[in-house]
Amino acid sequence: MSRYELLSPEGLRIDGRRWNDLRRVFAQMATQPSSNGSSYFEMGNTKVICTIQGPGEPTSRSKTIHDRCSISVDLNYAPFSGIDRKRRGRGDKRTVEMQTSLENTFAQAIRTTLLARSEIIISLHILSQDGSVLAACINATTLALIDAGIPLTDYLVACTSGSSSSYSTQNDEDADPLLDVNSLEENDLPCLTVATLGATDKVVLLLMENKVNVEKLEEMLAVGIDGCKTMRRILDTTVRKHGKELLEKREQLR
Amino acid sequence: MTSLKRSFVAQAEEASGAPLLSSKVFLRSGRGRCTKVVRELYLRQDIPCSSKLCQACTYNAPTDANGKIRPFILSETPAGNKVFPNGHYLIPDTNIFLNCMDALEHKSAFYDVIVLQTVLEEVRNRSLPLYNRLRSLTKSEDKRFYVFHNDFRRETYITRNEGETINDRNDRAVRKACTWYQAHLVSSLEGSKRQVPDIVMVSDDKENLRLANEEGIKCCNIRDYINGLENPDELLDRISSSTDKTDAAATAFYAEYYSQSKITTGLKAGLLHQGPFSTSPYNFLEGSVITSSFDKPLIIQGRRNINRAVQGDIVVVEVLPKEQWKLPSARIVEEDALTKNDNPELGQAEQIETESERLALVEEARRTHNSTDENKLVPTAKVVGIVRRNWRQYVGHIDPSSVAAGRGRSQQSVFLIAMDKRIPKIRIKTRQAESLLGQRIVVTIDSWEKTSRFPSGHFVRALGELESKEAETEALLLEWDVQYRPFPQSVLDCLPKEGHEWRVPEKDSPLWKGRKDLRDLMVCSIDPPGCTDIDDALHARPLPNGNYQVGVHIADVSHFVKPGNAMDLEAASRGTTVYLVDKRIDMLPMLLGTDLCSLKPYVERFAFSVLWEMTPDAEIVSAEFTKSAIKSVEAFSYEQAQLRIDDINNQDDLTKSMRTLLDFSKKLKKRRMDAGALNLASPEVKVHTDSETSDPVDVETKQLRETNSLVEEFMLLANITVARKIYEAFPQTAMLRRHGAPPATNFEELQSQLRVRKNMDLRVESSKALADSLDTCVDPKEPFFNTLIRIMATRCMLSAEYFAAGAFAYPEFRHYGLASEIYTHFTSPIRRYADVIAHRQLAAAIEYEPVHDSLNSKSKLEGVCQNINVRHRNAQFAGRASVEYYVGQALKGKVTEQEGFVMRLMSNGFVVFVARFGIEGLIRTSDLDQPEPDATYDDTNYVLTIHDKKKPFQVALFDKVRVTVEMIKEERTGKRKIQLKLVR
Ligand SMILES: [Zn+2]
Repeated sequence: MSRYELLSPEGLRIDGRRWNDLRRVFAQMATQPSSNGSSYFEMGNTKVICTIQGPGEPTSRSKTIHDRCSISVDLNYAPFSGIDRKRRGRGDKRTVEMQTSLENTFAQAIRTTLLARSEIIISLHILSQDGSVLAACINATTLALIDAGIPLTDYLVACTSGSSSSYSTQNDEDADPLLDVNSLEENDLPCLTVATLGATDKVVLLLMENKVNVEKLEEMLAVGIDGCKTMRRILDTTVRKHGKELLEKREQLR
Repeated sequence: MTSLKRSFVAQAEEASGAPLLSSKVFLRSGRGRCTKVVRELYLRQDIPCSSKLCQACTYNAPTDANGKIRPFILSETPAGNKVFPNGHYLIPDTNIFLNCMDALEHKSAFYDVIVLQTVLEEVRNRSLPLYNRLRSLTKSEDKRFYVFHNDFRRETYITRNEGETINDRNDRAVRKACTWYQAHLVSSLEGSKRQVPDIVMVSDDKENLRLANEEGIKCCNIRDYINGLENPDELLDRISSSTDKTDAAATAFYAEYYSQSKITTGLKAGLLHQGPFSTSPYNFLEGSVITSSFDKPLIIQGRRNINRAVQGDIVVVEVLPKEQWKLPSARIVEEDALTKNDNPELGQAEQIETESERLALVEEARRTHNSTDENKLVPTAKVVGIVRRNWRQYVGHIDPSSVAAGRGRSQQSVFLIAMDKRIPKIRIKTRQAESLLGQRIVVTIDSWEKTSRFPSGHFVRALGELESKEAETEALLLEWDVQYRPFPQSVLDCLPKEGHEWRVPEKDSPLWKGRKDLRDLMVCSIDPPGCTDIDDALHARPLPNGNYQVGVHIADVSHFVKPGNAMDLEAASRGTTVYLVDKRIDMLPMLLGTDLCSLKPYVERFAFSVLWEMTPDAEIVSAEFTKSAIKSVEAFSYEQAQLRIDDINNQDDLTKSMRTLLDFSKKLKKRRMDAGALNLASPEVKVHTDSETSDPVDVETKQLRETNSLVEEFMLLANITVARKIYEAFPQTAMLRRHGAPPATNFEELQSQLRVRKNMDLRVESSKALADSLDTCVDPKEPFFNTLIRIMATRCMLSAEYFAAGAFAYPEFRHYGLASEIYTHFTSPIRRYADVIAHRQLAAAIEYEPVHDSLNSKSKLEGVCQNINVRHRNAQFAGRASVEYYVGQALKGKVTEQEGFVMRLMSNGFVVFVARFGIEGLIRTSDLDQPEPDATYDDTNYVLTIHDKKKPFQVALFDKVRVTVEMIKEERTGKRKIQLKLVR
């Protein structure tokens, strides 16, 4: 028996949420004026800063593609972001893997053909990690890209979900899928990260590293996609609020 | 380890309804590193009060993923008692659950109870078993226990104040919840005419009660509360004795345990050692602790050194200086005999070791002193701390001599003598002493203070009259923790709707997908007579290429028992079917076990088949696994099968196929034995019972025929073949079974005994060597001698265990007894849960069905293994205890003279094994004559010389003796036991 009870029989999770509650989201745009676009994004205690450089002249020959722009992601974890203080090297395998999946995902959302022969550099700094790090990175990047004025087909939003069935001691049918997992849940349950393009059901990223029953996968996916829809609303509100503030400022300057 | 905590509450951005966020930051430093843990807490307002009276909460009750709302639990018309005549909901604090669980579980009272999250978590941290019992109370529909998550509800959440202890904070949280509940009920019932239920807090903490009174919360302590109920006596008996105030002035008999920090540093420095404590079965003043740092168990002698450790506890010990090292005890010391004059009432001049106990110890010391052989000395130790108590419920009876007659219904202390003789007497307080005399009762131990010679406990319930079949059967089921209650409705709901009418469907049904039709094969089953849960059936047929197809067909239990449903969970927790002499406690409901799954003859059944192609020399060419349907042509008993094979007139296909199987099985067995498999013996006896009354009438030793080993060989082969396959498919989570090689030191004593007494050499470097040398331990004049040695060798070995493949490296998988590299249980899914898992894994491995989650979670599988290992062992013990009881009953009123063998010598007695009944019994020197004759024990030659006045004589190890076997009842303690007497 584990030390924690991740989902109580009364349906409450370890941090007091219910199965379909997102954690508190806090998002800001244009946090770093020195860059072309930037954002700060919190999902619960997972905190990410994103800055964009570009689109600009590619940094190297290999980054020059004749009919579209190239995307480079640079991800780093702050040494104080986790439970233990530790530094991760550049070549850390998991970091490289995440960079690649971010690059591939955003290649589907950015209208790359409009920006041929240029490069966009996305830098992500993870300040604090408490589960769903990849999802937070995707959401932060979307905001920063909008701030940088890079053409996107729609909001690219991401969310995680977990399955409590292999953990729960009760009947399988009673086990609920859990939305937006924190690090305790992520460690003990099979979890997936799903990213969709806007409010459509178009899934552009699906990442899962555990084995899980096919039936459970369906449930998890459905919950995750619902979460993405909510996430899109939150990002949209943030963008509109930011836009409004910008307009007001401009008005005042006039 | 220090823990620094900071917490703050921040308002969420959206105002209405959204949960508040509070996050806690823990800074922990341990092992020279600093770690930071941030935990968020979402405070919400949609946690219902769950009172059926409340409108407000029904309105915004949350739903789960299927859109269902959890039903409200607390009754509209809760009961009152004399103290609080208004109907009320109870809110107990943590200590009430820790000390009074037996009373809370009682049917007569304690309904409509609110369990606060704060309290539930504290219970969980303090005792997992109690937590599980509390959880099952909250699941029970009629008790109406509701878990209220007060730490997640905005209004009842509190943060710890500066300088406040955790306990004080938790007490305050309980009071806060009480206040909120009361106000909430009043406000939600405002305007209606209904009576508002009171909220009553129950606590035994004086300070908490005082503060509650100040804050206007209705409250009282548990005794006052119970005294206001209908049947206070019965409930008061069930309250843990640790709520009694102990007299601080009383002198301490036992040394204080070391402090936690002293133990931790001691263990780290290697000065202290940790391990499970067990009491010697022959000497209650001696125990042993198995630790990882010594290859032999450490001996602990005397009450003072045992220092309140009870059988099964995990203890910390300190090794005594070498001058105090001893020989392992060779004396029989029985608690009943030595402590018969003890007074159960506390406070009188108690001594930790009475005069007679001290004499027993002195005798021991003298022996050590005289002994010349330094090497035989064993390190001794004393208990200095307890890591974990493994106290459970104990079954026993009240020592009649401890009951003061004529005390009526006033409370008195009495002793309970546990059935398990390794458990010390337990002091319990009861008001019903006289009515409990002569009853089998269940008690638990609550505490063992250093001021008390005996542990104190409390009465839980009575099972019925001593020696009545019902009470004794229930007692032994309880002793071995066998779940024997009827299956709940939720389990029965999982059975197929067709009931006994279930049939193998037509071929066009989807159930035939991936399933082979083997209904035309000549399949038959061979089992013990009267067997109704038939797990396995066999066939063999020649193939055109001169080879043979051999098939083992196993009941397709996993077709009916789907992972994760109520039936599966029940089976997983039962773990195994338990066979008693006259009763079977099933793992699966009867409908499946004896009908739908059972491979009965003449009907079509689903099966899981292993099919081999074998050469006529029984070499395996290939193996195939498939789900199938079969129709068994006959169900034989071992004897019937043997007769049919032996009768040369039978030349039909079925008999031919059985002969092939028998022939192959002999070849397989030979190959297995050559590889070093052990042929071990355990005394198996069969009790004949009168078919009408099921009273035992006779006992006989079980007979083994060739057909027994026919079935066994093919089952072993199937198990090994399946084990390989599922390990390939699930390298981390395959359900396997291993049997560790016993350390050579385990055999030292037996080796030396054989060398000295019989000039025989027992070699133990491998299972092969052991098997071969066991074959040479033969006394031509005494055929039973070899069996005796095998029984004794078996006791030196480790027990086999289930494990998930990832838990060990491949070389550790080895099954020592079967001399197989890898092994699992596949062939008895009706009666063993491990086999059900193996079936599911095999089905997934051959891609018959998708892998279920539970098969992939290593931690979950390890949990399953742990449970079934315990259940399996307990089932064996329960079965043996049942045989023992029936042998006893069969012997009641008879005195028979039997042959026996001396299997152990002690300085004041010896143990005799009676093969006919499979029992062993003690003969004390004091039983031989009155007054007790002197005896000298020569422990290098294993000879006990008894200086009988009339005619001195000697008893040596392995001697054949004649004894009378008789069932007697000890007048004083009311214990019935088998008594052996030496015939001279
Ligand atoms: Zn309410």
